[in-house]
Amino acid sequence: MSVDESGNGDGDAVDVGEPDRSLYVESPIIMATVRVVAPFVFTFGLFIMFHGANSAGGGFQGGVTVSTVILMLAVAFGVESTRDWVSPERLVALVGVGVSVVLLMGIGTVALGGAFLEYDVVPIYHFTKYGIELFELGIGIIVSGIVTGLFFGLAAGASGEGSADRDPDDREGLL
Amino acid sequence: MIGVVPAVLLGLVIACALATAVLRDVLAAIIAFAAYSLGIAMIWVLLQAPDVGLTEAAVGAGVTTVLFLLTIAKTVRPPGDDIFESLDPTGLLVAVLIVGVLASTLGALPPVGSAETPVAQSQVTDYYLNNAYEQTHVKNAVTAVLAAYRGFDTMGEAVVVFAAGVGLLVVLGREVFA
Repeated sequence: MSVDESGNGDGDAVDVGEPDRSLYVESPIIMATVRVVAPFVFTFGLFIMFHGANSAGGGFQGGVTVSTVILMLAVAFGVESTRDWVSPERLVALVGVGVSVVLLMGIGTVALGGAFLEYDVVPIYHFTKYGIELFELGIGIIVSGIVTGLFFGLAAGASGEGSADRDPDDREGLL
Repeated sequence: MIGVVPAVLLGLVIACALATAVLRDVLAAIIAFAAYSLGIAMIWVLLQAPDVGLTEAAVGAGVTTVLFLLTIAKTVRPPGDDIFESLDPTGLLVAVLIVGVLASTLGALPPVGSAETPVAQSQVTDYYLNNAYEQTHVKNAVTAVLAAYRGFDTMGEAVVVFAAGVGLLVVLGREVFA
């Protein structure tokens, strides 16, 4: 993300009477720090997810750590521009992929004639370990996607957009 | 009886918890709460529970803090220059009572690291520790239990997270998180 893009974040600054409480503060220090730290945190999150099989960690912890990267980017460069960069549609699709992976790992072994999550039936050497890692990766994708989504959802509410342009009657069809 | 490091961490956690409760400025309370979570995470690591510690550090100190910060964007500081909230005697009494009742159960807990605990002596624990590597090919017994022996639970947990996201979208009446 370049410096030019970060300027777009000004849009979500909210005037709540106290300027120091606005959602986005463009700070070169925060931007520089996030630029340096983010790749390491992202790698660490993936490490926790994959290496959870052999050391402390797992999909839930790794997923939250990965989503922290998006949260950091949003704090540094503005929620609005980060959300456009991630693209909300892609986020929902990603979560769907994660759920599919987890369900596939569980039910796929049943389809191959084994019991639920009986990794041994897959004819790949050492598949039990790879299967567990894939299972954890699916969980990580779900958790990181949902945490990022909750963040974007809350941010949209905090900056006051969305609710005003919606007719309250819109919701009737849902219930 | 208790080492220096655990004692300092416990003191930090209790001080941060009290600060969270009594600080008048919401932003300051959130920062104190993040420090509290970080202290708890370090205590988990000291108690040999690194998996729980990682979760507490990432969720409690990291994500929850950011979500709280977003939430208070619409609030304003209450008028007045007081640093601390004035304490409500009834609420204080209830809090002290609850802490007292909970603390009275502490005596029933086994000492930390004791070999006599039910968990350490359980046959299930022995089975997992003896067979986890052969049966699941992973070295972390916690992961073996979560993703293999009790994988059905874990799949349910993952789907619950998914359901939480779907629930939010349904409440907001939207199709994407925006």
